[in-house]
Amino acid sequence: MHERLSFYVKRNSVIHDLNPLTKVILTLALILIAFTSPWYWTPHLLVLVAIIPLSFIGKVAPEFFRTAIRIILPAAGFLFLMQAFFQPVGDTVIFKFYFLDVTQESLMFAFRNATRVIVMVSAFTFMLLTTHPSELMSDLTRRGLPGQFAYVIISTLQILPQMQAKAQTIISAQRSRGLDTESSFLKRMGSLSPLIGPLVFGSLAEVEERAIAIEARGFTSKKVKTSLHEIPDHSSDKIIRWGLVILVILSIALNLWPS
Amino acid sequence: MLEKIKNNFNTQTWVLIPIAIAINIAVGQIVLLLKLPVFLDSIGTVLVAVLCGPWAGALTGALSNVIWGIAIDPGALPWWPVAAMIGYMAGRMAQWGFFKSWWKVVVTGFVVALTAAIVSTPIAVYLFGGITASGSSFITAYLLQTGTGIWQAVVSTSFLTEPVDKITTAMLAFAIIQGLPKRTIGGYPKAEQATVEGGASKNQLYIAVGVVVVLVLFAAFMLRNILGG
Repeated sequence: MHERLSFYVKRNSVIHDLNPLTKVILTLALILIAFTSPWYWTPHLLVLVAIIPLSFIGKVAPEFFRTAIRIILPAAGFLFLMQAFFQPVGDTVIFKFYFLDVTQESLMFAFRNATRVIVMVSAFTFMLLTTHPSELMSDLTRRGLPGQFAYVIISTLQILPQMQAKAQTIISAQRSRGLDTESSFLKRMGSLSPLIGPLVFGSLAEVEERAIAIEARGFTSKKVKTSLHEIPDHSSDKIIRWGLVILVILSIALNLWPS
Repeated sequence: MLEKIKNNFNTQTWVLIPIAIAINIAVGQIVLLLKLPVFLDSIGTVLVAVLCGPWAGALTGALSNVIWGIAIDPGALPWWPVAAMIGYMAGRMAQWGFFKSWWKVVVTGFVVALTAAIVSTPIAVYLFGGITASGSSFITAYLLQTGTGIWQAVVSTSFLTEPVDKITTAMLAFAIIQGLPKRTIGGYPKAEQATVEGGASKNQLYIAVGVVVVLVLFAAFMLRNILGG
């Protein structure tokens, strides 16, 4: 059967031992600082001195760089090109391309935006590589997140690969009976419903059964549930969390400060 | 207020949400494969919104963008408020009875598209300076180069691209709900919103096409006002 969709890599490292909430706050702090800090080079610096070293400390560097090259860099690169070409700011024209001017300002602007996106995505990737989704959810549930949210996140991660596999099966099956997925626009539009129909109806039919199954396991019970796993939360975790919160507040304050 | 939010959620809702998110993503990928000029990545959201209510729809939209962002394309992450608003608006329209016949569904799609356009504009402007990584940014870029203001350029791009996508989404969601057996729908909190009214579906489709034409004219008129103003 298909594995649950998860980036998690099991290693022994300081980062893996941190409390999941600390890692979530670390991720959010990195993103917020990258987007709010008034200093131009902040996002670039964050990648170089925070995220990349952290991936080495967490012993997930190979996986991190693989994701970076496969997903993050193409997305950021495309954004960079779009913005460098299309952003009509600045006067220092470096070169012209039909009706588009690439100016020094638009290049700088695009570079910062692309790096911000890199910070955002790579911080998330880093968190997902070092945090097990169920561990994160049970920690958040312990802190008061309604159990239903945890159920939605975890079961989506489970259902999604199954659904994608099902979609692939339906596509192959319909193609083998001669469904046209490649020719004219109208034909492709027409082949939408034979592909979507079976997928959607098939999955909606499961809903009631699943609902009864989890209802039987006390899903809506208001009683406090106990957990088999104890998730450690050291005092160092608390210090790190508060430190990060202060940094974010500082960054936002500097941004709002009238200079 | 809290009661109103709570009545959107029963066990069936909680089970439907993950499936709806997976439907959003899987259908979005099928559409990419067919190379159609639409996204159709909120069919699941609209389904939840109609069957369970606006708040459940909003939650589905937001979560599906977050999960899409984490698992497939990180570029989807910042757009979660748009997806949430799509779910909320679709749910509200259904509550007002606008999900019961083909032409009403078209109107719902149009209203949802306008909402999406309005919510996505500040995100596009503040986060990306107007140019995002999506293909429709070519239009924005062209408008910017011709001297249109950034807000107008972004809003009119969304007005051009969103309605087709959202009307198709709403109509597909309607077709799906019609195709489901009554017994399956019955367990959801707002099942009565999905009951179909009106005469033969053929006549209804003609009316729906007429409504589409009127809305296209209306959109063109608004677009001219935005660009001219």
